[in-house]
Amino acid sequence: MALLQLINVNKVFKSGQTEIEALKTTSFAAEGGELIAIIGPSGSGKSTFLTIAGGLQSPSNGEVLINGQDITHLKEKQRASIRLQEIGFVLQSSNLVPFLNVQQQLQLLDKVKKNNMEAEKLKELYDSLGIADLMGSFPSDLSGGQRQRVAIAKALYTNPSIILADEPTASLDSDRAFEVMEMLKKAATNNGKTVIVVTHDTRLIQYCDKVYKITDGQLKQEVSNAMESSSFSNH
Amino acid sequence: MFLAWNEMKNNKLRFSLIVGVLTLVSYLVFFLSGLANGLENLNKEAVVKWDADGIILTEESDINLPQSSMNPDEYDGNGASEYATLGQFNAIATSGEQKSPVAIFGISEDEFIMPDVTEGRAFKYTGEVVADDSLREEGFQIGDELKLSSVDETLTISGFTEDARFNASPVLYGSFETLQKVRFGDSAENRDYKVNGFVVRTGNLDEIEVADSLQVVPTQTFIEGMPGYSEQSLTLSFMIYFLFIISAVILAIFLYVLTIQKISIFGVMKAQGVSSGYLAKSVVAQTFLLALAGTIIGFVLTIATGYFLPAAVPVAFNYMDMLIYGAVLVFVSVLGALFSIQTIVKIDPLEAIGG
Ligand SMILES: Nc1ncnc2c1ncn2[C@@H]1O[C@H](COP(=O)(O)OP(=O)(O)O)[C@@H](O)[C@H]1O
Ligand SMILES: [Mg+2]
Repeated sequence: MALLQLINVNKVFKSGQTEIEALKTTSFAAEGGELIAIIGPSGSGKSTFLTIAGGLQSPSNGEVLINGQDITHLKEKQRASIRLQEIGFVLQSSNLVPFLNVQQQLQLLDKVKKNNMEAEKLKELYDSLGIADLMGSFPSDLSGGQRQRVAIAKALYTNPSIILADEPTASLDSDRAFEVMEMLKKAATNNGKTVIVVTHDTRLIQYCDKVYKITDGQLKQEVSNAMESSSFSNH
Repeated sequence: MFLAWNEMKNNKLRFSLIVGVLTLVSYLVFFLSGLANGLENLNKEAVVKWDADGIILTEESDINLPQSSMNPDEYDGNGASEYATLGQFNAIATSGEQKSPVAIFGISEDEFIMPDVTEGRAFKYTGEVVADDSLREEGFQIGDELKLSSVDETLTISGFTEDARFNASPVLYGSFETLQKVRFGDSAENRDYKVNGFVVRTGNLDEIEVADSLQVVPTQTFIEGMPGYSEQSLTLSFMIYFLFIISAVILAIFLYVLTIQKISIFGVMKAQGVSSGYLAKSVVAQTFLLALAGTIIGFVLTIATGYFLPAAVPVAFNYMDMLIYGAVLVFVSVLGALFSIQTIVKIDPLEAIGG
């Protein structure tokens, strides 16, 4: 069964007389273990798609199923609970709490959710993200890349089945961007998670199993093999 | 608590300022409560010390002891377990440089309103009085001769007693003969004895029967009827109640501003699935800690100030009152925080993350 499923979903924004169909009617499914890229120019509807998939906003029509459960008609309180249990967000801008140090960022999640990553696995995660030495640092002491890696640790810590990343590499240089993609790739292949990465950086699609392209709200799967663009590979 | 505590730890200046403001408010509340209490004591101390249930006064006295006058045999003690005859006369007492308004109480030594003598001895001869020890603090001593205004008589202090002030004047307890001499001077022997009231202890004031010209007044009513008493305590109580409102409003404003500043942080947490309930609890916990800290510091400051105040300032701390006021202060502060909760609930995580 698909971990994430969108059935005939669209999103229309009304502002006064004008209507913008930010996401045209589309269906989408993603399995565990897949790393999926969504690419498209700015304003094409990438974030709209991702936030609907993550239960942050409701579609105008259609259904969103997470782990087989229809979340479309749930109340915000229940959707919040599903986000907490099933979804890890990595956002474009830092999603860290400014007055908590790195360790406390994750401790906060312990306060609101049980069964988070075990200590041993967490240590591995810290090591592989290269943030093991930053436990006592506050977000303001970290570089953009470090913050993004902490955000990834945070997203993975709750053992979500789906990871949604909205331009996670936007504030990173190429080397860092590739590292982050490797991390997300590992999460998908080693832990059977569904990882969806929104980006407009086509160099990153070499890591992805599937690539979707979105233009003017129309989502389409790219047929071309992702490996074609592996010329950027530097490892 | 986790969020609340870590936020405060990392924004010490900001939160110290809030605690500082709350400290000042609670300091003022505690001080006013001490002042209210002290001023009340100043008026009622002697009456409270009697531990009586009521007092019999004339109807036309308008519950004012000096205005009440009756014969010593107008009440026979019916319905009371104990009763005491009380005569009263106000004067200004002078001894050398010292000068003080006094309330002279004429009583019998065997009555229950006879004060405990804490220094010296009880009055024995006509002209001897037991004085409230606030007079000693003003410089009067045992053996001092007191000249009185308006009459030629002098009184001698034979001893001191504690907590004996009536309507802000120190009380001088003496015999009826003493009072009679003070009232009428040389013509005292030709005058009938008059008393101002009968102080009674009883299980039930309603059982006391008195002539139509007299009334039985419960002690509390008697105290509240003292000139200026109710006006004073109402004024101070109102100030305290206003301070409660002020502190709730101040905290509500502070927390509201803090919450507005944190909308995007809260939004990010909500996007992650942290519930509004958890965030709201955190804000309430934070307010509770801030208010508690402010109140405790204010309490300590008040007590410390109390030690340095001159005796002339009528401040008397009643710890039970302060405890209640402190609790109310913390409670209304937390109410102020509830105002911010609706803001937290309304935060749309989508807007916060700029999706
Ligand atoms: N809340 C909204 N209200 C109105 N229009 C919106 C809203 N969110 C997004 N849009 C519009 O929908 C379109 C797609 O936006 P978005 O999904 O953010 O694009 P992308 O992430 O690809 O840059 C844009 O034209 C944007 O202006
Ligand atoms: Mg976007």
